[in-house]
Amino acid sequence: MAGHRPLFHNPKNKTGHRPGQDDRTDMATQISQGQAFQDRVSQRQPLTPEQQQLLAEGSLADTAIQARPREFYAAMRHGDPIHYDAKLGSWLVTRHEDISAVQSDPVTFSVQHGYSEQQARGMRDEFEAYLREHGGGYFPDAIMSDPPYHTRVRKLMERAFTAHRVKELEPRITEVVRGVIAEAVAKGGGQCDAVKDIAIPLTIRVIVEQLGLDHGMEAQISRWSVAVTAQIGAMQTRETMLENAAQIAELQQYLIARMKACEENPGEDMISDLVHAEVTNADGTTEKLTFAEAVSLVRATLIAGNDTTATAIGNLFHVLATRPGMADLLESVVDDERQLNRFIEEHLRSAPPVRALSRMTTREVTVNGTTIPAHAHMLLVYGSGNDDESVFPEPRAFDITRPNLGRHVAFGGGPHRCIGLALARMEVKVAAREIVRQMRDIRFAIPESDIRYTRSVATHTIESLPITFEKRVG
Amino acid sequence: MGNLTVTMTDAEGGTHTFSDVEEGVSLMELGRRNGVAGIMGDCGGGCACATCHVYVDERWWDKVGAPDDVEFAMLDMVADVMKDTSRLGCQVRMSPQLDGLAVTVAPASGY
Repeated sequence: MAGHRPLFHNPKNKTGHRPGQDDRTDMATQISQGQAFQDRVSQRQPLTPEQQQLLAEGSLADTAIQARPREFYAAMRHGDPIHYDAKLGSWLVTRHEDISAVQSDPVTFSVQHGYSEQQARGMRDEFEAYLREHGGGYFPDAIMSDPPYHTRVRKLMERAFTAHRVKELEPRITEVVRGVIAEAVAKGGGQCDAVKDIAIPLTIRVIVEQLGLDHGMEAQISRWSVAVTAQIGAMQTRETMLENAAQIAELQQYLIARMKACEENPGEDMISDLVHAEVTNADGTTEKLTFAEAVSLVRATLIAGNDTTATAIGNLFHVLATRPGMADLLESVVDDERQLNRFIEEHLRSAPPVRALSRMTTREVTVNGTTIPAHAHMLLVYGSGNDDESVFPEPRAFDITRPNLGRHVAFGGGPHRCIGLALARMEVKVAAREIVRQMRDIRFAIPESDIRYTRSVATHTIESLPITFEKRVG
Repeated sequence: MGNLTVTMTDAEGGTHTFSDVEEGVSLMELGRRNGVAGIMGDCGGGCACATCHVYVDERWWDKVGAPDDVEFAMLDMVADVMKDTSRLGCQVRMSPQLDGLAVTVAPASGY
């Protein structure tokens, strides 16, 4: 697309090491920075009998709790901040300070192991074998890895997603978003599905342009996204795991064909950049990405950016329809860039699309006074961290004047902080602006109790949201 | 190896003087490479996370210059610790004009 620039200008650039990731010097750096894990213990608060019962009997594996988890989060956060959820088999980290501390030590708390264990949990071998047979191969996510390998791959991807580059894309993204919402409005009758007609096609069209993929594949890409995202935290039966594996196999076959074409005839798109990309090693030498690595990165770029961002936009419709004053507030800030940025950031804090992500301990470690064994699965519960009263007073108030908005953990933090955060913010912001310009009086077309959420501990995704609205004229 | 000098006061009050800084290196890269407390650079230099926030010594402010609107929007997310001399370290690149620059790492946004 217009304005696209190659991602990988300067493979000789050696700067920008992450602490503790490239060599011994950096490991010393990490320790002197205080990033190696040092435990701090914070006070537990007394729980009500109801909260004690909720902790004793409840689990994030329960669908009812998944759909409305705030009370469960609060009970853990207050009384048992590092809570072992036996039904889920995971240690749940729920206070903001503990989430931040864990994220800052990617060596003790491994993403690579956390992610791959979570994938097709309990059925991993079958999942992998299926993809080898039907999907052109099993391609472990190069970005869901640990330092020092992660450092090099991450550096390669960062150039594509800087805030300044995203700013250059804003006019084109606005055009795309305006078009998607106009199509939904043009269906007539003042009704549409806010998730299926707006949030999902909108984010897919943006990433399809970035990657240089074919238009008109929204439905297919949406199915693929759901299947890939399911691997980070959905409750899968064997049957759904195999259905998802079949979708992922189809996705991989499609991407491999596109990548082969780009290898021969490079275009001005991210796939062409990735198939020709080189990573820079700590000593300054460069290596080409392997084809398997490139497949995993194209897949991650396609999927990571659309399902989660679509979830944020679906959640925006949800709050506009349910929270008194929200529609008026949004309308009042829509032409003020600074206030609108704050509105979007507070929305991401208040309703984080990714509410928990995995880590795995590489050794026995004590976190906030609770000892976790080696090789234990953990979830960093962002949905709870963003509601931590000690960081965000009155966390359930929607307050765009918070002075520390940037502390929210909707994008995680540390070396694995969401790489596409600037693009995500921009898409949600542009969507919010266009919603206000084209629609008013947004309401649910179904009772709120009928709204279904994806069965997942990782995302808080509304699957379908039929709404009614008035078309805004002029 | 370059020959530019930068003095950084870290989040814990320690002072680091680097006198072999190359032209083009950002303050975030410099701080992270040398383990300056408080310089994280989570987003990798994309002006998208505000974990490399510094206060520029007032005597250097005119030469360093003000943030653009993209950077200002990010600094606004840590408004409780933002000052008139705030910059994101990833957006300040060393040049001969900045030889001798002094900055202080901003504290993390508050609890």
